[in-house]
Amino acid sequence: MVWHIFKKDWKLAWVFVLVVSLVHWIAAAIVHKLGLFGEDPMLGMLAEAVPMLALFGSMFLIGAIVHLDTIPGVRQDWLVRPIARRDLVLEKLLFVVLMVNGPIFAEVLLQGLANGFSFRLSLVAAAWEVGFLFFAFTLPLFSFASVTQNMTQAFILGCGCAFLILVFDTIASYLNARAYGTLEPIPWSGVGWVGETSRFVLVVAAAITILGLQYFRRKTLVSRFLVVLFGFMILATQFLPWKPAFAIEQRLSMKPNAGKDAVVAFDSALGKFPSPSGLRASSEQGRRYYAGEHSSVYLPLEVAGIHTDAFLLTDRVEVRFIGMDGKTAYHGIGERLEFADEGPNKSSYQEIQVPTSVYRDIKDQPLRAQVDYSWTLFGLEASYSIRALGGDERMPGFGWCETKMNEAETVVELHCMQPGKGPTCATLFLENKATGQRNPARSSCHSDYSPYSGWYIGDNMAHFGANIPFRDSSGLAKFPVDGPQLPQSRVVIRAYQPENHFTRSLTIPEIRLRDWEAQ
Amino acid sequence: MIRVEGLSRKFGRFDALRGLSFDVPPGSAFALIGANGAGKTTTIKILMNILEPTRGSATLLGVDSRKISPRELRQIGYVSENQDMPSRLTVEEYVAYLRPFYPTWDRDLEASIARQLRLPLERKIGDLSHGMRMKMALMCALPYRPKLLILDEPFSGLDPLVRDEFMEGLLEQAGEMTILISSHELGEIDGVATHVAFLDEGQLLFQESMSDLTGRFREVHVTLEIEAARPAEVPKEWIEMRALGNVLTFVDTRFDENGLSERIRARIEGVRGIDAEPMTLRSIFTTLARAARDGRT
Repeated sequence: MVWHIFKKDWKLAWVFVLVVSLVHWIAAAIVHKLGLFGEDPMLGMLAEAVPMLALFGSMFLIGAIVHLDTIPGVRQDWLVRPIARRDLVLEKLLFVVLMVNGPIFAEVLLQGLANGFSFRLSLVAAAWEVGFLFFAFTLPLFSFASVTQNMTQAFILGCGCAFLILVFDTIASYLNARAYGTLEPIPWSGVGWVGETSRFVLVVAAAITILGLQYFRRKTLVSRFLVVLFGFMILATQFLPWKPAFAIEQRLSMKPNAGKDAVVAFDSALGKFPSPSGLRASSEQGRRYYAGEHSSVYLPLEVAGIHTDAFLLTDRVEVRFIGMDGKTAYHGIGERLEFADEGPNKSSYQEIQVPTSVYRDIKDQPLRAQVDYSWTLFGLEASYSIRALGGDERMPGFGWCETKMNEAETVVELHCMQPGKGPTCATLFLENKATGQRNPARSSCHSDYSPYSGWYIGDNMAHFGANIPFRDSSGLAKFPVDGPQLPQSRVVIRAYQPENHFTRSLTIPEIRLRDWEAQ
Repeated sequence: MIRVEGLSRKFGRFDALRGLSFDVPPGSAFALIGANGAGKTTTIKILMNILEPTRGSATLLGVDSRKISPRELRQIGYVSENQDMPSRLTVEEYVAYLRPFYPTWDRDLEASIARQLRLPLERKIGDLSHGMRMKMALMCALPYRPKLLILDEPFSGLDPLVRDEFMEGLLEQAGEMTILISSHELGEIDGVATHVAFLDEGQLLFQESMSDLTGRFREVHVTLEIEAARPAEVPKEWIEMRALGNVLTFVDTRFDENGLSERIRARIEGVRGIDAEPMTLRSIFTTLARAARDGRT
């Protein structure tokens, strides 16, 4: 009877299905037309708005499909008909998968093909997109709609949930700021996917439980309570502690011993951090998890044991300054570091921003510093090159890229796209092929170690790129490869893959923070 | 066919049903009567497993109402004044949608009912009048020849012509069917119901066959030689006693033709004449409703 009910729903909802599909396909056409550089402002604006509109359309479509045979209420005719509940829930699932996710699958697949990617790559990207969409969007909305009687009720309940989320987030942000950014370690980090996966698990568990309760037992009150309960549990995943999440990541390391020789040491011989001219020694800028002013200290470090062509990225730096009485004077997080230079030893400064009110109290005290690093070692995976001007290359494993000079004629803009997740880390530099000269490399890395790609707004394309400077408009810096050499030059891209995730601890038995302010 | 035992249902603090018990014999046309809010619709919704009882149980076709499966629903027809059907489908499309769910669906019967009820098959359900929707609901409940037909306030809001068409359509197909019909309009079930149960504020006041009910109720007029006055002691089955001039009137709820005269004369002096008139169902209902309100049943 699943197919029979399906045909009835199609009769009732085909116009809505076609309209929403059309909006999705228009969105895809706009994004495709926008191209890699997205220079048309009108198209750029539409490329933001139309996919959102399509997404809202899909949301309402899911609600409308579920409400064709509403669960809550006592007047529905289907309740007194010999319709097996299992058939009904299966039909609704099939309908949303085919009529909501189906057009999106076609959209992403065609977009991949239209952008010149292989059928296999486009198909995999589309499958990921739809899979992700199903668990993160369709299923939760489906179960949410099943606890409501109509669109008005769904809207009101949705607004209520959005309000609760807002209140929760506001309180969480406040508490995180009070804890100097230590309360929400996972979100926006490389291991953010651990939190995301726990949310998926909770969402799927919630959806299955609620759908079971609704379609087989019609327990709307209990289900609504579960919506709120699971909602809070899902929100609470942002407080997942760092250590277990990073431990999972460590176990997933592709080369577990790649970073075994890596060590970090306090190197007082490096001296104070030389503040660049024009910058204040003690910054008073705000930071996202701080309210108010802060002061910076810079601990000189030496990192050793990193092999050539490796790239070390700090995922998290947890800092404790402990007084001589054993009490923690400050617990916060330090700035992230990158070590990409070639050679056996790498020196750098660990910046730690301390709220000024705390800093004033502890800066002259002898303190023990405990710095816990969570690191990821990237290994060079592949090198690519593309003409510095007017380049248009399809680089297998990296993506489709184009280059052009910016209007101010100071940088070469490299814009790329790749179906799916795209590369997470690369260094780039300009090289004159004729002379062999090269500019200093720039890194473009973001930590995202998720083993899957997920996207549910717009296309399932990773859009990435970098600006590679060749001229300093103030005239202070001189680049070996400058403007006139660009026609003979290429942008060299060195793509890195995460090999090993590991932790290191640094203990400095006694320091005074005042001694390590910037010069 | 239906057995209800100690059925209770609360909505928050409100007791919609309070320990309701009754039996619907197979082949009967059982009328559940009561004023608005008496609990008729709640009882039917529980029978159809649309609502769950707070306490007690209801059994239909030998199955607990909470465990009714498509197998039982294929043998039950349901018509309600508040039945939401897909408004954007035409009558024909919806009937076509329902057909495969009922293995015993008779298309000839369906066509005959549609003709008899003069239903516009091509019209969208949302465009039908209330009366037409009710007729359509009936048409969707009969072609599979259900063993049990449940009608919840089927005449509510219907004009007399439509009501008659509806009843004709129903009676013509009734056959061996057991019918449970709820109504607050006594006139509607008069001549249809074989059994009746009277609900008041969630409680069952009585349940009996229509012939027993109409047989035991009489409006008695006692003409006296002197000005009538209410006797000091009257049996509890004499209710609504009132005096007007030299006539004393009351309702005897345990009417027995043979003993009536003696019982009256034993309590009232100067009786000149006794006249016991049969009562309409409406009169019985209103008498009982007033008695229930006054705390006498």
